[in-house]
Amino acid sequence: MTHLELTHIHKSFGASVAVEDFNLTVKQGEFVSFLGPSGCGKTTTLRMVAGFELPTSGNVTLNGKDLTYVPPNKRNVGMVFQSYALFPNMTVAQNVGYGLKIAGKSKNEIEERVREMLSLIQMDKFYSRYPYQLSGGQQQRVALARALAIQPELLLLDEPLSALDAKIRFELRQEIRRIQQKLGITTIYVTHDQEEALSLSDRIVVMSHGKIEQVGNPFEIYNFPQTRFVAKFVGSLNTVTATVVDPAKGIASFDGINLEIAQGLNGKNKGEEVTIAIRPERFNFLAEQRKDNVFDCTIENITFLGSVVRVQMKIGNSIFNMDTFNRPSLKLPNIGDKEQVTCSNKAVLVLAG
Amino acid sequence: MSQMFATRQRKLWREYPLWNWVGLFPFFIFIVFFLVLPSLRLFTGAFTDQEGGLTFDNLKVFQNPNVLKAYIMSLQVSAITAFVGGFFGFLVAYSITQGGAPRWMRNVISTFSGLAANFGGVPLAFSFIATIGQTGIITAMLKKACFNLENYGALAQFLASGGVNVSDITNVCPLNPYTYGFSLYSLSGLVLAYTYFQFPLMILTITPALEGLKKEWYEASTNLGATPAKYWRDVALPVLMPSILGASLLLFGNAFGAYATARALTGGSIPLVSIYIGQQIRGDVLGNPNEGYALAFGMVAIMTLTIVAYSLLQRRATRWMKS
Amino acid sequence: MDEIMSKKRTSFFAIFWGILALLYFFLPIYGTLDFSLRMERGILSFKAYKIIFADPRFWEGFRYSVTMAVITIIVSAAIFVPTIYWMYLKVPQARPIMEIITILPFVIPGIILVFGLIRTFSRPPFQLTTSTFKTDILMIAGYVIISMPYMFRAVDVGMRSIDVRTLTEAAQSLGSNWFHVLADVIIPNLRLAILGGSLICFATVMGELILADFLVRPALGPYMVRLGLTKAYEPAALAIISYSLTWFSLGLLQFFSSRSERQKQQVITT
Repeated sequence: MTHLELTHIHKSFGASVAVEDFNLTVKQGEFVSFLGPSGCGKTTTLRMVAGFELPTSGNVTLNGKDLTYVPPNKRNVGMVFQSYALFPNMTVAQNVGYGLKIAGKSKNEIEERVREMLSLIQMDKFYSRYPYQLSGGQQQRVALARALAIQPELLLLDEPLSALDAKIRFELRQEIRRIQQKLGITTIYVTHDQEEALSLSDRIVVMSHGKIEQVGNPFEIYNFPQTRFVAKFVGSLNTVTATVVDPAKGIASFDGINLEIAQGLNGKNKGEEVTIAIRPERFNFLAEQRKDNVFDCTIENITFLGSVVRVQMKIGNSIFNMDTFNRPSLKLPNIGDKEQVTCSNKAVLVLAG
Repeated sequence: MSQMFATRQRKLWREYPLWNWVGLFPFFIFIVFFLVLPSLRLFTGAFTDQEGGLTFDNLKVFQNPNVLKAYIMSLQVSAITAFVGGFFGFLVAYSITQGGAPRWMRNVISTFSGLAANFGGVPLAFSFIATIGQTGIITAMLKKACFNLENYGALAQFLASGGVNVSDITNVCPLNPYTYGFSLYSLSGLVLAYTYFQFPLMILTITPALEGLKKEWYEASTNLGATPAKYWRDVALPVLMPSILGASLLLFGNAFGAYATARALTGGSIPLVSIYIGQQIRGDVLGNPNEGYALAFGMVAIMTLTIVAYSLLQRRATRWMKS
Repeated sequence: MDEIMSKKRTSFFAIFWGILALLYFFLPIYGTLDFSLRMERGILSFKAYKIIFADPRFWEGFRYSVTMAVITIIVSAAIFVPTIYWMYLKVPQARPIMEIITILPFVIPGIILVFGLIRTFSRPPFQLTTSTFKTDILMIAGYVIISMPYMFRAVDVGMRSIDVRTLTEAAQSLGSNWFHVLADVIIPNLRLAILGGSLICFATVMGELILADFLVRPALGPYMVRLGLTKAYEPAALAIISYSLTWFSLGLLQFFSSRSERQKQQVITT
C-alpha cells in the first residue's frame, strides 16, 4: 500500500537545478534513506516533503492527499533536525509536549503522552531539564520524542546524527531504528554516511547532483551497484578502464591482462572501453583458494585497519586494494614481494557511466 | 476552507518571491510617515519659495551674519572638542588597552565610558554648573587654594624684579579659573562640558582599533631593530590613522548636532546652528520659514559629509585590520 | 632589556592618563552630589531632594515620562521584533536597507528630526497637534524613531544568537502558526535582548528634552530646564536623581545578563 508518493519532483533555485525528476513511492512503515554527498539534493527533497520548500514542479502525495501546497504546519509530519532545534526556553517536557499543546489537547493528555514518549527514549528522569543541561545525544533523543509525540504520519530525519560523536552515533542509530520499527511509522532518513544508510534502511535512494542514481535495498545497492557513482560512493571499490576483447565470452583486458566477467559484455563491441570494478574484499591470495581470475601483483603497501587488513597491490600498471580479515594465522607478504591473487568472475562488475 | 486559501496563497508566493517584502510593510509605513516625510519636508522646503515654486534663494540664508556666526561657532566647538576629546580619549584608550593600566582601572574606565558617552543634555549641564560654575564646588576649592605672598619673600622678589607690582598683591590664588576670565557659559565652558561625553565616545570607538593592533607587529618591528617610538611612528600610527580620523569625525558630528547641553548650559546665548534652528522652530526668527529649512538642510549636508567620510575611513581601517 | 624598560615607562604613562580620565569622570559627579547636599548653609542635608520630591510638578513630569517610556518600549518592540524576525527568515536581502534606515536617527541630529516632525505634523493633512492625545501620539512616534538605533540593534543581536530558521521550522512541523512561533519560541528567547533595548529606550526617553520642549508636553526634561532657570541647588539634586535612574537601569541589565550567563555555564555533559 503506497503511503507516500513523490512524482516528478523538480526543484531549481534560479538557474541552478537542485533536484531533477525525483520519483519515489514509499510503503507504510518503510524506512527509506536518501544517501548521497553534500549538495546532491537529498535534504532539499526532504524539505519539500516537510513543506519548507516548494517544488518547482511535481507533486507530493500522502495517503492519497496532495500535500504539495499545504503549509508545513498543517502536514502532520514529524521532523528531526541536524541541529536538534530544541526550544531553549522550554523544558524537555514542554518541548515534547509542544505539538500537543498547539493541537489543543488537555493538560492531562499532554502529560500522559509526554511521559510515554520519555520512557520510549529512556529519558524519564529528564522531565524538567532544560536543553542546555543535556548532551548532544540526549538532545537529539528529545527531538525525536518531540517529533513522535504528535503521532505524525511520516517521520523525517535530516542528518540527525552528523553532529554527534562516533560512539553516540552508533548507539543512537540503533535506537532510532528500534523505535521506528516498534511504532511502524513511515520514515525518510537523509544521510551522507553510507554505513548508517546500509544498516538502518529497508530501501536506499542513492542521489547525486539532484538525480536518483539507484533505488534498492541495502544488499542490492552494495552488491549490484548500477552506476559508477553508486559503486564508488557505497563501500570501497577498485575501478579500472578496460578494453573489450571478446563480448560473447565476457572477456576484457587492461594493461595487457585478461579478465573474465561472469556478467558478460553483451551489447558491447570489441575494442570498446568499459569501466570495470571489483570490491576489495572479493580478492584473496591464490594460496588460500583458487578462483576464476588470477593476477600477478606486486605488494605496494599493507595497512592494518583493525579487523581488516588492507593490502595495496599493483596489477599491471594499476593500483588495487584488497581487504582481508585480520586473523592470527594470516601470513602476510612483505612490501615489494611478488604475489598471486585471485577473484571470482562474478565479482567483476561492469559499470554504466 | 482555510486549507484551500493557504494553498492558493502558497501558489501566489511561488510566483512572486518578492511578496515576502510585504511582511516588512508595517515597519516601512512607520518609517515613511515619521522619518521620510519629515525629511522630505525639510529637503523640499529648503528649495521652495513662499509661493511654492522651486528656488535656490533660500540658500541666501547663509549670507545672514547671525547664521554665519552660528555656523562658525558650531564648527569651532565641534572641531575643538573633536580634537581635545579625540586626543585625550586616544591616550586613555591606549592606556587601558596596551599601556598596562591596572585591571580595575581598565574595567572602571570601560564601563564608565559606555555610560558617559550617552550623558549629555540637561543633567550634564547641571553637573557642570554645580561643579565648576561661579558657585560650584570645585570652583570653591580652587578659589581657596591661595597662599599669602608675604610668606614667600623670594617669590615676591622674583616677581618684583620682573616688573610686577607686588605691594598690592597679598593673596595669590593661581588656580581660580575665573580670574583668567573663564566662564562656563562661554565657548571654553561649552568645550569643557562637551568633552565630558566626547572623550568616552572616543575611547569606545578607538578601543577596537587599538585591540586590533597585533602584538606581533610590535614584536616584529623590535626584532628588526626599531625602538618603540619608531614603531609608533612607522607602523602603529599609520595603521591606526584611518580609525583615528574616522573617530574624530564621529566626535565632530556628535558635537555639531548637540542641542540640549548647549541649551541648558547657555540658554541660547552662544550662537550655535542647533540653537538657531531651535529658535526657528519656536518662532520664525528669520522672517522666512523656508530659510529655516535651508538652515536645517545645511546642517544635514555637513552631517552627511561627515558620516560618508567616516564610513569610507572605516572601510579603509577594517581592510588593514583584517590581515 | 629595552622592552622591560619601555613596559615600565608605559605603565606610568598609562596610570597617569587613567587617573586623569577617572578624575574627569568622577569630579563632576562628586561636585554635583556635594553641591546638591549643601542647600542648608554649613551642613550636608537632603533639603534639595526633599523639595523636589515634594514638588507635584516633578511627579507630573516623572509620571508622564515614565508612561511615555513604557508605551514607547511596547510600540518599538511590537514593530521591530516581528519585522526583524521576518527579515531574518524571509527577506535577508533587506538587511542593508534596514541597517541604513535604523542608523539614520543616530546620524541626524535630534533637533533636525524634531524640526521635521513638527513641521510635517503641525498642519493638514497630517495634523497631530490639535489635541494633547494626538500630540502624545506624535511624541511616541518621535521617541520610537529616536531610540530606533538602539532597539533595533539590541533585537538584531539577540536574534542572531538563536537559530531563527531552524527553530521556526521545528515549531511549524509541530503545527505552529506564525503567532505561536513568535509568542512561544522566538520572543521567549529574546527576553534578554528586548530587556536591553527597553532599558536603553527607557533611559533615552527619560532624558529627552527637545521633543518634549517643542511640543510643550509635561515631560521630565522641560521641567528640569525650567527649574534650572530659577533654582540653584535643586537642579543639582535633579541631576543626581537622573544619573541614579540611568545607573539603576543599566545595573538591572547587567544583573539579568550575568544571571543568564551563569545559567548557561551549568551545561552538564553526559
